Amino acid sequence: MHDEVLKMGPHDVGGEKYLQIDTEDHGMTYWEKFSNGLRIAVSAKKIITLDELRLTAEKFGDEYFQMEYFERNGKALTHACLNKKLLTDKELIAGKKRHKENFTIPIIELPDPKSIIHLHDGEPHTHSRDDFQEDEKGEGPPDYFLEMLTIADILTEKKLIKMEDIFLKIEQFDNQYPARGIDVVTRAWVDNSFRDFLINDAKNAIIDIGIKLESFADIICMPQSDKTHHLVVCTLCSCYPRALLGMPPSWYKSRSYRSRVVYEPRKVLEEFGTIIPDSVEVKVHDSNADMRYLILPQRPKGTEGWSESALSALISRDHLVGVRLPKNVI
Amino acid sequence: MLYDNKSSSSPCFDKDSGIRVAKRSSEGHCRTPAYIRGKIGVIERYCGNFPNPEQIAICHPKPDVIPLYRCRFYQKDIWPHYSGNDCDTLELEIFEHWLEPATF
Repeated sequence: MHDEVLKMGPHDVGGEKYLQIDTEDHGMTYWEKFSNGLRIAVSAKKIITLDELRLTAEKFGDEYFQMEYFERNGKALTHACLNKKLLTDKELIAGKKRHKENFTIPIIELPDPKSIIHLHDGEPHTHSRDDFQEDEKGEGPPDYFLEMLTIADILTEKKLIKMEDIFLKIEQFDNQYPARGIDVVTRAWVDNSFRDFLINDAKNAIIDIGIKLESFADIICMPQSDKTHHLVVCTLCSCYPRALLGMPPSWYKSRSYRSRVVYEPRKVLEEFGTIIPDSVEVKVHDSNADMRYLILPQRPKGTEGWSESALSALISRDHLVGVRLPKNVI
Repeated sequence: MLYDNKSSSSPCFDKDSGIRVAKRSSEGHCRTPAYIRGKIGVIERYCGNFPNPEQIAICHPKPDVIPLYRCRFYQKDIWPHYSGNDCDTLELEIFEHWLEPATF
């Protein structure tokens, strides 16, 4: 759909023909959270910049989309650390071996189910074979996680980062960031002067209500209206207002969403169950540089007099990216 | 393409002025997607000056801090067979060295 000669690399997918989007969010494993925390700790300390990490991943060529998101970002971090001589190949191999041993679990025989008789509600109870389930994914964490653990050890030994930096990021992404965007939106719904401030100068408005933003990026708030429907994508990677919404969902990082939403936003919205009338302009924001976008949904009808905490129950992250709309109460 | 010695440049483009995104290839890391190169739109706003990501990615010791704009395009001007409505738009951020003046 665009000039292939100009395409920068495997990551530059805006306009590619691609298949249906999996609109479920599949969450994150612990090792994905750890890898993400490490990557942010490293870039926050400017040991390796985000743009260097992006360039490293972009050079993976055909392997770029053969790896899933966190593996790709993790491997990019490993490559960049090796290039910068922050660790040697030998240290990496030794560290991975050491960490892998920590995940080795001895194989034990499952007990004979018939030999286990115990009481349920005071009655003797016998188990059958079907009551036991073996762990089908017992092969341990992926290879790149062993690399992340090794890099974390070595950068900590060199006093470039602290383990606490990584654990703090995991905690913030799990428990703090996702609530912030919702707090901002409910405040804007109940306070018109804050709403105006937010739309004119989002970053300062957000700081003004006591939210400390860790991110370097500027923030722009786009209000949904009866005339315009906004939605956000990052066609080049996964730029997203993390300090306000937490980690982006699986679909936001997917090749299908990134490639299609720029040229067929109405079809993509339909896949999320969102039908936009013909009279409404659909405006796509490709979040490709230093701005991050927060979409402000319209306050649902039938919520007059509701408190901020009652309103917050009506909001999901998908509304703040613009792929879904909160439902009216009446 | 790098953008040397323009650390304190002031913005060349005004809001609503017509622009064309340069239709050229790039090497290394760059934040101008292929699909928008060569397309004509308008300046939605000047965002401020930001360090050039093309230089940051290669560890330039002192990256240029250059004007960044949000640019607005009609979808029908980007995709010849756009399936949505004529009023639909797309906005994205483009660094000044990727913009040329354009008239409609």
